[in-house]
Amino acid sequence: MIEVQELRKRYRRRDVLDGVSFTADKGRITCLIGMNGAGKSTVLKAIMGLVPYRSGTIRIGGEPPSPAVMEKIAFIPDRLMMPGGMRVREALAWMQEHYARWNPARAEELLAFFRLDPAARIAQLSRGTEAKLNLVLGLSRDTDYVLMDEPFSGIDMLSREQIADVFTSELVERRGVLLTTHEIAEMERLIDQAVFLDQGRVVRDFDCERMREDEGKSVVDVMREVYRA
Amino acid sequence: MTNEEGWKDVAFNSRDPVYLQVVRLFMEKLVTGRLAAGQVIPSRRELASLLKINPNTAQKAYKEMEERRLIVTEGNAPSRVTEDAGVLRGIRAALVEEAADEFIAAVRRIGMPADELIELVRRKYDERQGGGAHD
Repeated sequence: MIEVQELRKRYRRRDVLDGVSFTADKGRITCLIGMNGAGKSTVLKAIMGLVPYRSGTIRIGGEPPSPAVMEKIAFIPDRLMMPGGMRVREALAWMQEHYARWNPARAEELLAFFRLDPAARIAQLSRGTEAKLNLVLGLSRDTDYVLMDEPFSGIDMLSREQIADVFTSELVERRGVLLTTHEIAEMERLIDQAVFLDQGRVVRDFDCERMREDEGKSVVDVMREVYRA
Repeated sequence: MTNEEGWKDVAFNSRDPVYLQVVRLFMEKLVTGRLAAGQVIPSRRELASLLKINPNTAQKAYKEMEERRLIVTEGNAPSRVTEDAGVLRGIRAALVEEAADEFIAAVRRIGMPADELIELVRRKYDERQGGGAHD
């Protein structure tokens, strides 16, 4: 499990994270939901050690972050970080060389799943195809956890549907997935746990099926409640 | 093993628990004969992919159906629809009763005497039977 406790961060005299606490369990899909600027991406980056924070604790499988522990997590940023001149095949080779737990068979499977052309140059990919390749690079590692920052933003509907299919497949089975989004509607039936962030704070944190069962509310209903105020 | 027909494009609502909507889908398939007694059903994983739902939700739906004895899973064998005629009759009765409750709730607001209503239902039902029933 990934545990975040009382995470605080100030940036330009603003509390970007104002005591954020939640957990993301293995074998479950946890979604950080919030408007732009709510602090979602900052939380992921703090877990990955990519941004400093003022106080709070982060535990991954019970352990504090360290290079060895971080190998258990794959981080998929909101945009592909590979140079445009590279070919898809070369990007995979680069990942294999630089990252632990690379699974070549899984990578091939994912290329086929998304129907990506290994010979294509990254600069020539559409925004949706680029997002798929970004996912291939992250999911091809045998990590316990996968963090995804806005996997759906700015891409066409068909690509979004294909990406959503990842969450129902064995590609994420038994792993802990933590993703951020501000467009929850298409994730409604795919996620286990919803954590709403607003102005650097967790305002709601619930099991989606239990919310439907106990209160008859969809995740979108709760979202309206939270942000209408 | 299991064809994909009939599992795709199922419309779920987002306010009822998804696992109960899955159970309901199976019940409807059973009473309409689209699933036969003893038939092998998709694995939990397959069902999650087909219905585009969370795999844990599919798991929960299967657990619920096992508890209600709608499906049986023996050891590592794939899950099957029950062959227990009593259970199958029970599902049928439950679905018909539910439909009747909904119908009554709707017509009560209009306020028609039960006798007239029954007569109307009988006439409409016969019309359907005679005039090329669909489904």
